[in-house]
Amino acid sequence: MMAMLALEGRWNTRAAGKAQRLASIAFALTGKVLDGERIVEVLERLIRPGDRVCLEGNNQKQADFLSRNLAAVDPERVHDMHLVLSVLGRPEHVDLFERGIARKVDFSFSGPQSLRLAQLVEDGRVEIGAIHTYLELFGRYFIDLTPNVALVAADAADAAGNLYTGANTEETPAIVEATAFRNGIVIAQVNETTGELPRVDIPGSWVDAVVVADRPYAIEPLFTRDPAEIDDVAILMAMLAIRGVYESHRVRRLNHGIGFDTAAIELILPTFGESLGLRGEICTHWALNPHPTLIPAIESGWVESIHSFGGELGMERYIAARSDVFFTGPDGSLRSNRAFAQMAGLYATDLFIGSTLQLDRDANSSTATRGRIAGFGGAPNMGSDPHGRRHASDAWLALARGDDGIARGRKLVVQLVETFRASGVPTIVERLDAAGMVGKAGFAIAPVMIYGDDVTHVVTEEGVAYLYRAENVDDRRAALAAIAGVTPVGMERRQERTAALRAVGVVAYPQDLGVRRGDARRSLLAASSMADLVRWSDDLYDPPARFRSW
Amino acid sequence: MTPATLRRSYVESTPRERIVALADPGTFREILDPFARCSSPYLAEQGVVAQRDDGVVIGRALLEGRDVGAIAVDGRFLGGSIGEIGGAKIARVLERARDGAFLLLDTGGIRLQEANLGLLAIAEICDAIVALRERAPVVAVIAGRVGCYGGMSIAAALCSQIVMSPVGRFGLNGPEVIEQEAGIEEFDARDRPATWRATGGLRRVAQGHADILVEDDLDDIARTLREAFRATRNRERLSLARLRDRFAESAPA
Amino acid sequence: MQRIVLERAGGTPVTKRAHLGAVASGNLEVLCEPPAGDGATIVVSTSVDGYEPVWRATLERFLEQHFIAAAIEINDFGATPAMVSLRLEQALELAR
Repeated sequence: MMAMLALEGRWNTRAAGKAQRLASIAFALTGKVLDGERIVEVLERLIRPGDRVCLEGNNQKQADFLSRNLAAVDPERVHDMHLVLSVLGRPEHVDLFERGIARKVDFSFSGPQSLRLAQLVEDGRVEIGAIHTYLELFGRYFIDLTPNVALVAADAADAAGNLYTGANTEETPAIVEATAFRNGIVIAQVNETTGELPRVDIPGSWVDAVVVADRPYAIEPLFTRDPAEIDDVAILMAMLAIRGVYESHRVRRLNHGIGFDTAAIELILPTFGESLGLRGEICTHWALNPHPTLIPAIESGWVESIHSFGGELGMERYIAARSDVFFTGPDGSLRSNRAFAQMAGLYATDLFIGSTLQLDRDANSSTATRGRIAGFGGAPNMGSDPHGRRHASDAWLALARGDDGIARGRKLVVQLVETFRASGVPTIVERLDAAGMVGKAGFAIAPVMIYGDDVTHVVTEEGVAYLYRAENVDDRRAALAAIAGVTPVGMERRQERTAALRAVGVVAYPQDLGVRRGDARRSLLAASSMADLVRWSDDLYDPPARFRSW
Repeated sequence: MTPATLRRSYVESTPRERIVALADPGTFREILDPFARCSSPYLAEQGVVAQRDDGVVIGRALLEGRDVGAIAVDGRFLGGSIGEIGGAKIARVLERARDGAFLLLDTGGIRLQEANLGLLAIAEICDAIVALRERAPVVAVIAGRVGCYGGMSIAAALCSQIVMSPVGRFGLNGPEVIEQEAGIEEFDARDRPATWRATGGLRRVAQGHADILVEDDLDDIARTLREAFRATRNRERLSLARLRDRFAESAPA
Repeated sequence: MQRIVLERAGGTPVTKRAHLGAVASGNLEVLCEPPAGDGATIVVSTSVDGYEPVWRATLERFLEQHFIAAAIEINDFGATPAMVSLRLEQALELAR
């Protein structure tokens, strides 16, 4: 009998531990609802030194009530925590390390905290496990980085602990699933508790406790780009991308990176794209956050469907009124899901296009700059050719390689960059800053965003380099040099070589694509201001205050 | 539906394009164009590159046959600030205008780099407006991204009529100046909706500080400008005495 | 603030004056007119110091692509080489 009990104990330690922990916070619980006033004490009792804690810091929504209070716990009681989170973006995330509450971190992106984080690593206050892509990190939640405790955010909860996440479901399901089904503890901060939820995004049986936050969770309109800031050069590059890539390869399923260059593409689909007769032929299915700059194309009938990683502030009413296009719940609001959208972007789209801070002669790209640890987010997954893909599409087959009977297609990975970022700062460089960062600040490998061998096209204001068509490394480099302007890489351009590459379609200049530079004007933008976007949306889009000029 | 492309945006147009679009077709004659190279002699020594028209476009144009002075301030160059040259260009056109003038104002006021000279120039502009409006309409249009602030807001207030779009802003002190002088509790310059609620076209027209509200649409503004000219000619002109009363009314007690 | 001058002999003269752009952040003003003598002259005033090689390369490439005679003045406020090239092409279209 004793032996049996011992054995049972051996195989159920996690369940037993969970029960024990929950008992330790019973003092603050009424049903599943925690007393928000006592949240610091709850966290101090709940979290053990050395615990792996997932703090929901999404790209968009932030569990900031929980993170602010976690940063306020007594480091004598809670210390050496192993933080796992996708976006280490809030000041208090970094405070956790400064105060000794946390010691190690595995994450994906640090954005605004990249400078402070690098300093703490240098000072030996933070140990970085690894810097991941979103999908990798979510994957590891189910393998070797499963959280003991997950602190997540939702819009609302009911008495049973069911969660409603509104437009920003994002990665909550992935975190909660990994934690709840391995006897971890899930605590959700909510903006409010209500009797009846508009819909259930996370079942209450996966959630141990909810707590009403002192204010609605923090969220930033990260994907809003004011059309007023798009210049003629971005429009020229957009024209080249549409003619030289989208039209040439009939790209229907795609993902756009964040930035003014891709926003320019979205805004000239209803004008330039329409004049080419491309509506219905390209850009019909998207893995994309709800970019306000896509509103004119949606309204003009270009877009069949959009699946989103997260929501975007101000787009709520518009999305609810366009449920044929977006994924929405019965309540009308967007259902986003970062894990699924990342998977869709990786396996079910034919093209990724995005910008970067640096691109080297082999088309390796990086956003890492010295003294910062910025991380990756989702771009490395979107911008890679998934070798596990087995379904074909026209665009994918257009890049087929191999002719021995087992040819396979290829994802279009496009880098869209102006040759210089500012008057004297080249984007196309001989060597990435990232190459000098190996072995420093927690980088086991150089922080490359997209590896050059995955890049199929580079578009600059000078033209398009069809790198996938190059016969060898020399041709590939010469093709990139041909469109690299007066950057150090571009100065190596040779006229005869360029002419030969143009002749075989490895390089195309605007005139080869039927694009007149002089036509690159802001008047091509279907919307030239935020007010125009609102008009296009039938007054359904409500831009955040900082974007309003009326 | 193509709401944006059907419209010719004033905001999106350059100062020259604005005048050309608002005047009777083909009638604008620019005076001292960029090739005259009348630019500020003070900027280079302060390390600032000068624009060849000093950020001010002037000339003569017809408006329903009336021979009017046409003025447009370029908000892109140093915030549409008024220096010695640009200010003199504006004043001279107003002084010589026959049947009135229109001013397309997109300006933060006096150019800091030429402080006293800019101040003097704006005084001349104000004088010229008051003199001209005694005999012909002087209409200000405030519909650009910068708005109309500082000394030039006084010049605008002296005009016979002010036309504004919702994008336009009109006030003596810019939001940043108010924040700096009165404190962020009084006015948060980063709170854009608050800025427009206080000084935007919708508000200013509702208050009676501006006269006519227009869309960000060159055709709408062209129509409105003509109406403003007709209306001013027919209605009782404000005498300087009434103007003083109007200032007294709007001044804080 | 920096001044850069580039000259090249020969070329087909432009026939008209053209003016565009503005001295505004990331932008530039271009004045293009028929030359007093023959050949092309480009005079740049830029607010950003220290990038003369980039300017020279950008302007030389423009003159390589277009065998024109013209007097061109550029007043720059930190425009990128891409923006400089685009404005020059736009000016040339108007001046030819």
